[in-house]
Amino acid sequence: MWNGGPARGLVINKEDPFGAYLAARDGSLVNFERDNTIIRRMDPNRPFYKPEFWEKVQKGDQNGNTEDPSYGCMPGGVPRMGPPAKIVQTATELLFFYVSPPAQGWGDQYRIIPIDGRDHTPLDQLDGTWKGESIGHWEGDTMVIDTIGFNDTSWLDIGGYFHSENMHVIERMRREGNTLTWQATVEDPDVLIKPWVTNPRVLRLNSDPKAMLEESLPCVERDLSHLVNREHH
Amino acid sequence: MNYKLAAMSAMLVLCVAGVPVLAHHSVAAQFDLNKPITLTGKVAKVEWINPHSYLWLDVSDDSGNVKHWALEMAGPGALRKAGLSRADRGGLKAGDTVTVNAVRAKDGTDSALMKDVKVPDGRVFTIWTNDPNAQ
Repeated sequence: MWNGGPARGLVINKEDPFGAYLAARDGSLVNFERDNTIIRRMDPNRPFYKPEFWEKVQKGDQNGNTEDPSYGCMPGGVPRMGPPAKIVQTATELLFFYVSPPAQGWGDQYRIIPIDGRDHTPLDQLDGTWKGESIGHWEGDTMVIDTIGFNDTSWLDIGGYFHSENMHVIERMRREGNTLTWQATVEDPDVLIKPWVTNPRVLRLNSDPKAMLEESLPCVERDLSHLVNREHH
Repeated sequence: MNYKLAAMSAMLVLCVAGVPVLAHHSVAAQFDLNKPITLTGKVAKVEWINPHSYLWLDVSDDSGNVKHWALEMAGPGALRKAGLSRADRGGLKAGDTVTVNAVRAKDGTDSALMKDVKVPDGRVFTIWTNDPNAQ
């Protein structure tokens, strides 16, 4: 689990393309945030929006401190919440547990994912939610989780990357030994030119057999009223 | 039955490599690192909350006027690990007199980002968040 940063210098976790963090330039907390934000924004893998939505994306990005739902203690939602920190599997269900941080959302999040072969509820009968309705099935050694029924409130990532209520997310998870690879495909033809495939995330099995998930404490945002500019990370 | 993700119904704890994809406002949007301040006062309240815990400090001036300072700290997980969450084990406790080094908020309010805190028994805890060089 993430514990606050590497010791010094550029540290790259080869198993996770996001796992690169710079140490603080000049020991400055501000430079630390700015440098790592630049690294994060250099990732060329980003959702491509239809031209009529470019202005909306840009406005959301520029005003992320007030527009990004994750800033205001809202959930990350699927797929922003990423892979779970803990998995329990039964004959008919997968139970996913998330923690924050580092999971993408505040509070103790969970998902219950049927793997009993059922079909989705018709979309027009689903309330739009942060995590939607997920149903899983095996394709060989890969668990494929198909999710529909979203709200249009969550974002895919920083950058103003919104989505519509008609978003369709397909997550693929594959375990090889003590590593688990997770990747999501986002289909949203209402707003995206083409499906967006997230970078893969690789998780390692915690070697401590007694490891427990920490309780996530409540999220209360006290900072927004004090911000004097729009800088964010 | 295919149990390829989890071995039977045993629980797996997966170690996340560390990807704070959640975002937040920058320190530079709220605090001025060039405006350090040292405050000594009585702890009024400690809030163990995400995304940042808060220490509320009553600071008296020479005239006896009390200002209620809001001091932003790290997330609660880091503070728990540092031993600050349990008052009965030497952590932060309402009524204690503590000394805090911090940097002031840019908006001029009585709020600041805590750099370190000295508790009554003399221990000093460095709070600076996310700064690997500050360890």
